[in-house]
Amino acid sequence: MERNAQHAFDAEEVMAYLDGELEAQRAAALAAHLVSCSECQEVAQGFRALSERMLSFEVEHPSARMNETVLAALDSGDSSRKAVPSISGQIKSWNWRRVFAPPYVWAFAGLGSVALLAVVIIPSFFRARQAAWLDTQRATGLSAPHDEVQSLRTEPLYAPKPGLTMPMNGRAAQASAGEGWAAPAPPPPSAGDELKAPETVGPMIVQTASLNILATNYDEASAAIEKLAAAHGGYVEKLDAKAQTGNARELSAALRIPTKQLDGFLSDVRKLGHVEEETRSNEEVSDQYVDLQARLKSARATEQRLVELLGTRTGKLEDVLEAERELARIRGEIESMQGQSTILVHRVNYATVQVNLSEEYRQVLGSGPISTGTKIRNAAVEGFTDLEGGAVALVVFLFAVGPSLLFWLAILLVPGWFLWKRFRLRAQR
Amino acid sequence: MNSDDQLIFEFQQGSRDSFVELFERYREPIYGFFRRRLEHPARAEELAQECFLALLQNVQRYEPRAGFRSYLYGIAIHLVAAERRKAGREVAENEKLDSRPLEGNAAENNDAGIWVRNALGHLEQSEREILMLREYEQLSYGEIAAVLRMPVNTVRSRLFRARAALKNQLLPVK
Repeated sequence: MERNAQHAFDAEEVMAYLDGELEAQRAAALAAHLVSCSECQEVAQGFRALSERMLSFEVEHPSARMNETVLAALDSGDSSRKAVPSISGQIKSWNWRRVFAPPYVWAFAGLGSVALLAVVIIPSFFRARQAAWLDTQRATGLSAPHDEVQSLRTEPLYAPKPGLTMPMNGRAAQASAGEGWAAPAPPPPSAGDELKAPETVGPMIVQTASLNILATNYDEASAAIEKLAAAHGGYVEKLDAKAQTGNARELSAALRIPTKQLDGFLSDVRKLGHVEEETRSNEEVSDQYVDLQARLKSARATEQRLVELLGTRTGKLEDVLEAERELARIRGEIESMQGQSTILVHRVNYATVQVNLSEEYRQVLGSGPISTGTKIRNAAVEGFTDLEGGAVALVVFLFAVGPSLLFWLAILLVPGWFLWKRFRLRAQR
Repeated sequence: MNSDDQLIFEFQQGSRDSFVELFERYREPIYGFFRRRLEHPARAEELAQECFLALLQNVQRYEPRAGFRSYLYGIAIHLVAAERRKAGREVAENEKLDSRPLEGNAAENNDAGIWVRNALGHLEQSEREILMLREYEQLSYGEIAAVLRMPVNTVRSRLFRARAALKNQLLPVK
């Protein structure tokens, strides 16, 4: 009976049982079986004897040197392999190989130096490109206005000096003695007055300002703008109000405000709501004005001489007619120049203020003016345009970056190959 | 007594004594591991040091997945494999196991030990490794499986084959 039952457990299971690796239920059954089965007892005895015999393969104890080395490494915190004192010459060479031979050390070193190189080179490369771009811009004269803006910005932009006020009103700029450019203002170019080109002139500055305001109360603010302009002696040049369904209401107004009143007006306008953007710029037109005055002066002199000529001299009818025609032309020119001068002075006296007022929009439930179908179609068109733009951008990017990418890839390929080789070796192991 | 994993955790937290205790626990087993597998005692000692230094170096990256012993003997197995590969004489190593008497302490250099050593040298390498990890390092089947990266059932069947083969070789002596 036991003999038959023995087949329920093979020798491997007996081994696993002795090793304590048999699952509990099976182990209990085998333990019970072992009591009565002599064959299985024999098998078990065989395994036990084998284990005992194997233990006769003894080894000596490690030397104390090992303790010292390991504990020294523990205490120094520097457990690098170099700290291990070598015991034999063979070990020395082994350590050397461990430290220097592995390709990945070189691979990492290569990667590191490439990264460093990139960090150093790329910014200077871009700087050089930017400088070259600026040079070409200057050469084509495109950057000239930009430069002017820059230089203007360094001036006290928001606080015009007293000398800046314009001579139109007949008031000479009361320049303080310390200001080098202080000069008698040109006489007002009102009709009939003798126009004299001033020898020197204070800077004539055309001021423009632009404000984007998010109105807290749109209705009040839009009404207030015109009133404010009038209160400061200015006027509305252009007014454009929009109230589209599904969109916030917008008002854009171009205003002309006396230069002297500009600061006061702006501070009043700012109170209308939250100022999202404010820009101011000054453009100097003194040279234009001086030039205009000089031309006007010479034209007037010519006119004078022609009038005298016609009054005092007699000659052929042809010549008289010729002189009359010349006189008429000169007078036309004078008028045109007077007009230009007036406009210039007006621009200097009246700053241009662009006010964009928008409403804090509250979304209203309900379908907008655009139907769903149109929206979908628009979205599709937009999506396609985006796709096209993206593809073009990708191609452009590839062309722009591709060559340098290939170059760096070629450089990185060598360390990368070393790494790959190492990983493959490890995987094979 | 604290478990190995607890000690290594404490060491990760900065407890020097925990490492010292671990080192005390495994100093001799690890040395024995290398000593039984390598020819020169000095080299075995050197690699045992390497093993603990590697543990020190990588302790912050240690995660208790398969247990500390699997981890430690995994490092040891790796070092032995590297050593053999470096020497490029794995086969010759087996022969040395067969023929050469152990150096070192004469008292331990007994006849039975030499017999076992020779018999082990005749086993197939992976079976020998499993058997030695089981008998000398006292690893469980699961730990051996984790160290050698093979299924537990494979460990069991190979261990059985190794024991059967060794028994056959040792039989005449008995």
